[in-house]
Amino acid sequence: MPANRFNAHTAYGIGLGLRIPHYAHILEKKPLVDWFEIISENYMTDAGRPLHILDQILEQYRVVQHGVSMYFGNAARPNRDHLRKLKRLTKRTQTPWISDHLCWGSVDGRYTHDLLPMPYTWEAVETTARNIREVQDFLEIPVAVENVSSYVEFHVSEMTEWEFLSEVVERADCGILLDVNNIYVSSKNHGFDPYEYLDAVPHDRVAQMHIAGHTKFERYILDTHDHPVLDPVWKMYAHATKLAGRTATLLEWDDRIPSFDEVHREALKANTFLPDAKSLAA
Amino acid sequence: MPKVSPRNPATLADVQRLMAEAVMRPLRSDEGMQTAWKDGSPAADVAARIIKPNDRLSSFERLQIYNQQYWWRLLGSFAEDFRALRAVVGNRKFDKLAVAYLENCGSTTWTMRDLGRQLESFLRAHPELTTPHGPLALDVVRVEWARVIAFDEPGKSVLQPEKIAAVSPDRLRIGLQPYLTLLELAHPVDELLRKFKESQIETGAFSNAVSATVTRRRSRIAARPARRPVHLAVHRHELAVYYKRLEPEAYRLLCALRDGATLADACERAFAGSQDLPAASAGKIQQWFANWMHLGWLCSIR
Repeated sequence: MPANRFNAHTAYGIGLGLRIPHYAHILEKKPLVDWFEIISENYMTDAGRPLHILDQILEQYRVVQHGVSMYFGNAARPNRDHLRKLKRLTKRTQTPWISDHLCWGSVDGRYTHDLLPMPYTWEAVETTARNIREVQDFLEIPVAVENVSSYVEFHVSEMTEWEFLSEVVERADCGILLDVNNIYVSSKNHGFDPYEYLDAVPHDRVAQMHIAGHTKFERYILDTHDHPVLDPVWKMYAHATKLAGRTATLLEWDDRIPSFDEVHREALKANTFLPDAKSLAA
Repeated sequence: MPKVSPRNPATLADVQRLMAEAVMRPLRSDEGMQTAWKDGSPAADVAARIIKPNDRLSSFERLQIYNQQYWWRLLGSFAEDFRALRAVVGNRKFDKLAVAYLENCGSTTWTMRDLGRQLESFLRAHPELTTPHGPLALDVVRVEWARVIAFDEPGKSVLQPEKIAAVSPDRLRIGLQPYLTLLELAHPVDELLRKFKESQIETGAFSNAVSATVTRRRSRIAARPARRPVHLAVHRHELAVYYKRLEPEAYRLLCALRDGATLADACERAFAGSQDLPAASAGKIQQWFANWMHLGWLCSIR
């Protein structure tokens, strides 16, 4: 199941987010890492140091692109200039699939640079699926959409988040980047059962998973990516991999970033939560 | 942005317009969301029309999370790009001008790299935001924006010497690399920035994490006006950003080339009114071109 058409029939293992504080360590020490995930927008330039670093990384590592500003859920259609730049980068990285978020973020040409949650309406299902199809057709590689952490729910919503995600990916015929931490964060903020979410999504469409740490405040949880993964999220990850099989998994650590080795160690913990972990250890 | 009635956000576009409008409204001085909507009605009522409360947070408080994230994210990125401006005008003034600028000139592209594109013109139109540091602040903004350009603006193929030799100077037009910015400054901003040591690590990267708070910086810097205008090239060489002082004639020559003059006209403009003998001028030009070719500044017009 994990090698499927939504991740171009690849079988990637545990990956890490490529982050600036780790550039020197990676290029000098060349640590053994299965793959790196890059934030596409950091490299959608035509020149300069970021691209130079990326080219060096590409000489030695497999890279998968992850975006933060395609805004599939925008009422407007995808930005063609953005798509052209993104496609140019996919040619450079040879990413087997590409992911971005199931969210919206700009209106009438003004960008919020945030991953804003969708109202779960049938109109939004249609609009989002249309936009994903358009992006997928343009890029000519599989697209996976990631569920976001959210802090609001809309009165106009007509279904649950997992129903919305399922409807969108079926209609767009795309993959899912299942962010287990985001499900946990939203479940606490909105009071739903995260395992009901995990059980309900179409597991055969899961192309990749994300795990991350978060921050608990008194009355809500924020998706801060600045901590190790918490136990409840590891448990959910174990459940998700039982349902979807061994899937390319990425640890996100974006703020208060510790040493490369510490991040790598945290990511590799994922191996101990895989369904066949005991047999692997033996 | 078309206005949406906060009463009945019926469509996806309506919901998004209304939420975006709420998210992009400046925060209060205590960094909370404004309690009054633009028409004077309670913002809590507007929030309650589109957002459900839960057992811990009101609709207003839930929406406020996104309002705060928007401002902290943009202000953080803006402050990264204009660290020296903050050090010139001070934290309080910087925060005020940043909010005023971003409220008027919000992001219109997918990249926050372009956030500062209109800052110089905005500050020229609003001198009260930088008083009493106005002239220095403007010089610093120009150099800091030039750094952004130098960092990753695309380059063009470098002009080969034989192409220059093959065309008569009165017909030859030469382009400059898009990442090269030429500046005439009243202050020695290059020296100022060299002295300005930033203690915090620059990230300059996108992520999809949210911020718990915005970073604040405390160091201050100042400079007196230079006795003569400072002519500066901000450029990139082997992936690093550099400042290079230019002689006034070299600056004028490069500006003329950038503006489309032929080589012959550019040289004439550069030395108009100069006391230099023609032979001395020719020697200087030869030396400058050798240096500019070495740095890769010159390229074809097409």
